[in-house]
Parts: sequence; structure tokens; C-alpha cells
Amino acid sequence: MRIVIKIAFLINILFMPACEDMFDYSPYTIDFSDENRNVNQRNIEKLHAREKNDTITIAFTGDTHLFFDETEWFVNNVNKNHSIDFVIHVGDFADFGLPKQYLWGNSFLLKLEVPYFVVIGNHDLVGNGSKAYQEMFGSFNYSLIYDSIKFIFVNTNSREFKFNGNVPDILWIENQLQPGVDFTRVVVIFHVPPTNSDFDESLEEAFHNSLSHYKNVLFTVHGHLHNHEIYKPYADSIPYVNVFGVAHRKYNLIKISKNQFEVETVEF
Amino acid sequence: MLVTGVETFSQVSQNSDSARYQMFLPDYVKLQFAGGIGFLSLGVGYTFFKQKLEVSYFYGYVPEFVSTDDLHSVSLQLTARLFRFKVNPNIELMPLNIGWFIHHTFGSEYWIKLPEHYPEEYYWWSPGRNSGVFLGGEIRTKLLSNATPASGTAFYVRMGSRGLYLASKFGNSSIPLKDIIEFGFGVAVYR
Repeated sequence: MRIVIKIAFLINILFMPACEDMFDYSPYTIDFSDENRNVNQRNIEKLHAREKNDTITIAFTGDTHLFFDETEWFVNNVNKNHSIDFVIHVGDFADFGLPKQYLWGNSFLLKLEVPYFVVIGNHDLVGNGSKAYQEMFGSFNYSLIYDSIKFIFVNTNSREFKFNGNVPDILWIENQLQPGVDFTRVVVIFHVPPTNSDFDESLEEAFHNSLSHYKNVLFTVHGHLHNHEIYKPYADSIPYVNVFGVAHRKYNLIKISKNQFEVETVEF
Repeated sequence: MLVTGVETFSQVSQNSDSARYQMFLPDYVKLQFAGGIGFLSLGVGYTFFKQKLEVSYFYGYVPEFVSTDDLHSVSLQLTARLFRFKVNPNIELMPLNIGWFIHHTFGSEYWIKLPEHYPEEYYWWSPGRNSGVFLGGEIRTKLLSNATPASGTAFYVRMGSRGLYLASKFGNSSIPLKDIIEFGFGVAVYR
């Protein structure tokens, strides 16, 4: 009996205090602390408390995958630019969809002084990543209104849902775009662009028809391709802004003022 | 006389049967806490080469009170004991064991082969099966050897990591090393 006590004591003394948070049960354990839960909603509240000015300045990043150092440098750079109102991440936040990668990614974004919003990417859905996203950020589709501009975040990762015809959710998008008294223009944000093979081909037309229906979409923003380009793929002339992935050590700043917008590139 | 003879005969055959079965009986049973393969894992295994090598098979469970979903998984492990010291007749110390494991989590979202709705090589890893390495130490005692058929009881600790974590840490000084370590400990009862 004395041996057991001695050994138990030894294990405790040597390893327990140093390794308290290193006891790992599975790569798929989801056990998030409060600051890692309900992140989108908390940032919406934070954004509403923010003072408004004539111009909305948004820093866009995305496709952070395994580029954690670059993500940290991005955060440091954004914190130095006090004209930025908020940050939008265009998806592929957790490369393997691992809960741990969600925690790492958010540990950097939590250091942002301004609110931030993350739209779901295809990588984020692998394994139990869809659960991890919902625990950490909330619904796949959500929207917010800031300074009379509505921002709609849409899950367009059709391939991850086996092209089941429900992703993207066209009805939800149409509902969100219906003109209201509290907004004049809409910005639509998603990960996979409709022209990509990971987007449900059978929904492509319905998707861009719904965006042009009320003629209130100012522009759309997406990631997935990692490079930067502004293009108009459809006859409706809605600009699509493909923003830089973090690996380029560049990010796009979009300034919206009087229903106009301009896109800049910042190196870091 | 006849009855006794039958009895003797049946006893002999039972003995040789149980000897045969004993060959296949696992050399040990392990119960492990954490270590990346379950909240609690129960394993059995065999030793080879004068106990220098071990092959274990674990079933691991993660209950809902530590994770959003409960998780079931199995893992196969190879452990090599590099050093072995007899501290006294009752205690043996194995300060450095190295090992490799392959871990399979059950559930359709934890696929092994890339599902058909993806083009070839769309994702390079598989969430359902991944492998890793670990280091550990072990103390073997004569505990339970008097009261039970067991030859002894060992206590072990291990720290490891897996490919998915190592790939995440690679090139990222911003990720703390401690975040990719899977720490665990357990107890083994030897036959």
C-alpha cells in the first residue's frame, strides 16, 4: 500500500501542476471557455456600441488555414490602424476543422481591438468542425446592420453538404435582402464564390438572381481562391471582391461611404 | 473406477485446453486517463522480445460531460522500452519508453477514405484515422501479485503528439508547444 501512495504522490508532484491543460482526450473534444463561445453575437453587440462616422472601414482577411503566425501579424497590423471599424474573416479558419485549431485561430482574433466576424469555409466543416463553428461563432448564416448597411454572411460551401440543394440557402438570402427601414445597402460575404466548382451549380443562377432582385447589393466579398481580384461575373454588374488570403501577408481594406466603396491593399 | 477415469481424462483435456488458451490470453490489461485516445481508455496487449516491445489495442471513450458529443475510438499502439533498471526485487523502473499509435474515431464525419463527393486529393488528411508518437516512463511493482493471479502492477505516464497537431505547429512559433502535447497516465496489470 505504501508503494501505491508513493507512486501516486510521485505522479502528482512531477506532472500534474505542469500539465493541467495538457490532458488531451481526443482531437475532437469540444470544450470551449466563455470567450470562445457565441463570438459573432458578442461582436455584433460590441459593434453596435461603437461610434459611427461617415466612412465604414473594414479589414478583410481569410484562408488562414495553418498560417497562425501570419494571422498574428495581421492582428498586430490591424490594431495599429485606428480607422478600421471591424474585421471580417472570409473562412477556412480551421484547416483540419479541429476544435483546437478553432481555439488557436480565435486566440489571435481575440487580441483585435475592434469587433470581428467569421464566415464559414469548407475546411471549417471537416470532422466535427461544423459543431465547433456553431459552438464558437453561432449560426452558419447570419446578418448584422451597421450604419444603414446590412452585412449578410452566407454558407456557400455546397460540396461539404454533398450538393444537397440547400447550401446556399436561397430562401434565407431572399428574406434577408428584402428592403427594410433600417438599411439602404447590402454587402454579402461568403467563402466559396458561385463560379467555383465547390458551389452548387444548380443554385448558381438562383443565387445571383436573388442578389440582383432588389438592386440593393453594393458588392459581395469572398475568399477560397487566396488571391485578390475585383470582377463582375454576371450581367447585373454586382462587383465581386475576392480578398487576399493571409499567407500573402497582404489584406484588403474596403471603405464604404455614401453608397460607394473603394478597395485598398495593405502589406504587413 | 470408471467414473474416476472419465474425470481424470476430462481434467487432462481441460488442462491442455487452458494451456492453449493461455497462449492467446493478453499479457496485460491497461486503464489509461487522457493521452489523446479517450477520457478513459481500456486496453489489452502482448509483450515481445523479453518485454522490450509491446503491442496494445485500446478502446477509448470521451463522455459528454467533458465534450459537446461523446466520442468512441480505438487505437493500436507500439511501445518500445529502451531502458530497464531493477531498483529492488519488487520495483523495476523503465524511464524511457517510446511509442507510435494509430487512432481511429468512430462516426461518419470522421471518415478514413475521402468520400465520393470530393475530387481526388481534395483533402490530404483523414479526420477518422490519424497517428502520432509518444514518450513515456513506467514503474513496475509486485502490487496485486500476492492476492491475485497477476504477476504485478505498473504505473505509467506518457506525453505525445499527433501528425495533425505537429502539422499545425510546423512553422508557427505563435503556437505554444504545450498546446500540441497530449499528456496521459495509466495503470497496467500484468499476467
